Amino acid sequence: MAYTNKLHVIYGDGALGVAGDDFHYIFSYERGGLESMKIKGKEWLYRVPTPTFWRTTTDNDRGNGFNIRSAQWVCADLFQKCVNIDLSVGDHHFDELPVAPRTNDFRGDEEADGVIISYTFETLTSPATHATVSYEVQVDGQIKVGVHYTGKDGLPELPVFGLRLIMPTEATGFTYEGLSGETYPDRMAGVTHGTFAIKGLPVAKYLVPQENGMHMATDWVEITRDTTQNNADHDRTPFKLKVAKDDQPINFSCLPYTAEELENATHLEELPLARRTVLVIAGAVRGVGGIDSWGADVEQKYHISADKDIEFSFIMNAK
Amino acid sequence: MDADIKWLDDPETFRVNQLPAHSDHHYYGNYAEWAAGASRFTQSLDGQWQFKFAQTPQERLHGFYALDQDTTDFDSITVPSEIEMNDYAQNNYINTLIPWEGKIYRRPAYALSADDTQAGSFSTGSDNTVGMYRRTFDLDPALRGKAVRVRFEGVERAMYLWLNGHFIGYAEDSFTPSEFELTPYIQDEGNVMAVEVFKHSTASWIEDQDMFRFSGIFRSVSLLAQPVTHVEDMTIRPVVADNFKDARFNLSLKLAGERAGSVHIMVKDADGNGLLDQSLPVTTAVDLEDVDFHDVHLWDNHDPYLYQLLVEIRDESGKLLELVPYRFGFRRIEINDDHVVLLNGKRLIINGVNRHEWDDHRGRAITMADMTKDIATFKENNINAVRTCHYPDQIPWYYLCDQNGIYMMAENNLESHATWQKMGAIEPSYNVPGSVSQWKDVVVDRARSNYETFKNHTAILFWSLGNESFAGDNLVTMNQFYKEHDDSRLTHYEGVCHTHDYSKQIPSLDPKGYLPAGGTKDYRDQISDVESWMYLPPKQVEEYLKNNPDKPFMECEYMHDMGNSDGGMGSYIELLDKYPQYFGGFIWDFIDQAIAVKDPISGKEVMRYGGDFDDRHSDYEFSGDGLMFADRTPKPAMQEVRYYYGLHK
Repeated sequence: MAYTNKLHVIYGDGALGVAGDDFHYIFSYERGGLESMKIKGKEWLYRVPTPTFWRTTTDNDRGNGFNIRSAQWVCADLFQKCVNIDLSVGDHHFDELPVAPRTNDFRGDEEADGVIISYTFETLTSPATHATVSYEVQVDGQIKVGVHYTGKDGLPELPVFGLRLIMPTEATGFTYEGLSGETYPDRMAGVTHGTFAIKGLPVAKYLVPQENGMHMATDWVEITRDTTQNNADHDRTPFKLKVAKDDQPINFSCLPYTAEELENATHLEELPLARRTVLVIAGAVRGVGGIDSWGADVEQKYHISADKDIEFSFIMNAK
Repeated sequence: MDADIKWLDDPETFRVNQLPAHSDHHYYGNYAEWAAGASRFTQSLDGQWQFKFAQTPQERLHGFYALDQDTTDFDSITVPSEIEMNDYAQNNYINTLIPWEGKIYRRPAYALSADDTQAGSFSTGSDNTVGMYRRTFDLDPALRGKAVRVRFEGVERAMYLWLNGHFIGYAEDSFTPSEFELTPYIQDEGNVMAVEVFKHSTASWIEDQDMFRFSGIFRSVSLLAQPVTHVEDMTIRPVVADNFKDARFNLSLKLAGERAGSVHIMVKDADGNGLLDQSLPVTTAVDLEDVDFHDVHLWDNHDPYLYQLLVEIRDESGKLLELVPYRFGFRRIEINDDHVVLLNGKRLIINGVNRHEWDDHRGRAITMADMTKDIATFKENNINAVRTCHYPDQIPWYYLCDQNGIYMMAENNLESHATWQKMGAIEPSYNVPGSVSQWKDVVVDRARSNYETFKNHTAILFWSLGNESFAGDNLVTMNQFYKEHDDSRLTHYEGVCHTHDYSKQIPSLDPKGYLPAGGTKDYRDQISDVESWMYLPPKQVEEYLKNNPDKPFMECEYMHDMGNSDGGMGSYIELLDKYPQYFGGFIWDFIDQAIAVKDPISGKEVMRYGGDFDDRHSDYEFSGDGLMFADRTPKPAMQEVRYYYGLHK
């Protein structure tokens, strides 16, 4: 497609396509999210990104019963119920999603200088609350992702709140600018600041697999893969996706497993063969604690209260 | 005397024919042997031994030590190693409960009443596995014609020894050296040594440490020949003067063998300059008292400066018979009137770790390579102190700590957790050693062995009576032992806190959490120079420190590093800046206890923890609380420790 300095918008019957010179995104109405993020011909998404509400239970969490008190967030994390989709293309806000037959009103060369689409999820908790993920696509292909959690009285504390992106194949590694090592809100004093290149997707070798690999206060992370699932793609040249902070530094972990996969294993070798990349961008992270492992709670200031809103944003396909 | 299996049931029989504990000095025939680290007087018995295993005492091979015993069906086992790690007996990890929990009903002898002997408790115990070791050896030429003893540096948990069919002796206390005289029965060639090792005895009640439960000859075995005249024991007592510049040097030697010739004593600084050079005639005891040294170079973590002591025994013609080298430092630890712990007149801060001896392929039969790696890890991460939890370590570790300035809390082999804490509650109804008279000598013996063996190590600042054993008159006696024998160190014991009412000092503590129902005698004034707690949250540490602390405070265990942990460490460290009476603590703990095995499913080498060997009851992954993974790679939390421990170096 010729360079137009505008986004090419494709009004599909079940999805909205948004494309530019070297990117093509598909926002699904059926799947409740960004279904495809193709950059320079390579697909970056395995399933639609979803809010994440769970981190794998740590030994300290288990010891003080946090996993039991907050157990309903596991369910919220596992099963996602998208209840609303809101779309604006350029200056136009769609009061109703442009689905068939209204899609017949469009043409093949629709353009826009911006697209904002947001997905609202109702949590499978009691009481229920909402989380909204909005994607603001800019003409250069950068996506500003905004994530909002609506606080609700009566819900247990959260272990984490973030957005989880699962990539189709295992990354060969990632590079980030931020803090050395694995960090948590209550364990980030001993860091050095810099740019760190991590080979592969290491899982910390805790005897019982548990939450690991969080990186607090990060400016950007760039993930490198060299494989896709596309059977016609024979190219093994490494390719990269950069995720960067927006107005505040981001927290992230980049592992081959979801929290639930880790949760199910009692030993590292019980984990499935690594085949995906699970990137969590977290807006709030609970501390890990350390006073003891049989009752002492994480210090109060490192808890995540569920009755207050949480909001964060970051840039995907950052230039 | 004949061996008696009933000794396993009797807490008052814990050493039979064992030689008295003595200082751990090496001795050589000359300077070249010292330089080479190979004494002519020493012969290692490490290596392959014949081995036979029995599940119970009843099934053991009676008389296996006899010279005419047919051993064709014996296996071979490496000494040192753990019987369990050789797959004869089941691995088991258990924390506070006793290993026979839910399997066998036992009580410690005499704990509930003075006539309750618990006869047969262990000698007929269905869980009491037996390892029978045999080794045939010739004496090295240099050892022939001399008095010869054997030293077992560590055998879990009760051992009987025979040489050439003769019963030699019996020992308990798995973690201190046991020595036996062999001279009456030893031959130049064709000796047969036999050792019968029982996994359980009454000692099991007081060796209930939170660890994998092993048995076997897990530390080195050696033969030691005595020179004609021999330094049997040596006490070096350097005393730093009040001006922290000068010092007094004291040395006491106990000599054995012929009373002829001379003792030549030299002290040199690290550059080889002589500070003392004195010859005395050989008598049974040689003492140097209060030799003045001026402008001494003090020893501490930053500058572990050691002086070289050399003791030469020479015969009447001046020929060197024995050379005893020992390196020592000048340092002074004390508590001032403000209840602040001082080292060399300056406030001491412990940036410590608890360290179990652990190797993921060898269990507690660790190697010198493990030890030197651990020291390097300490240095890299600003760890300046180690608690030898909860038993004396291998001897070389103490030398490494002297040389590297690692402050030591040298702990006795004592933990009786199961006898006083039940499902979290303080319930000492059958606690031992407590105040049970029949359990006094055995624990005082452990204190003595720890003291006598390691008394010359500069690095030791604290003697620790043991771990998690509640308190009673017998702990008082242990504390007194150290006070009577050593005024150059402090005593430490945490468990006494379970006998004292802290409602004034730490008002927010719930007494139900730390005191037994119905109360108990308060031993706080009689046990431990320092106030020691474990896992007390920072806020309550601060309460103690705010309320006129009458003993300096430390955490003998804190920052429990199980899995992804070590969060909030700063809340402890900042207290150091606010309260001089707080002198830090020892992180729990240094290295995960996990066993590397080949996974039959994946074929990969993987880590196994408690319960992974079908062992029940188990405390499962609770064995993995280290700053290091079991393969000696650091956990991610280590950078945090390096930072916080770097703040008060």
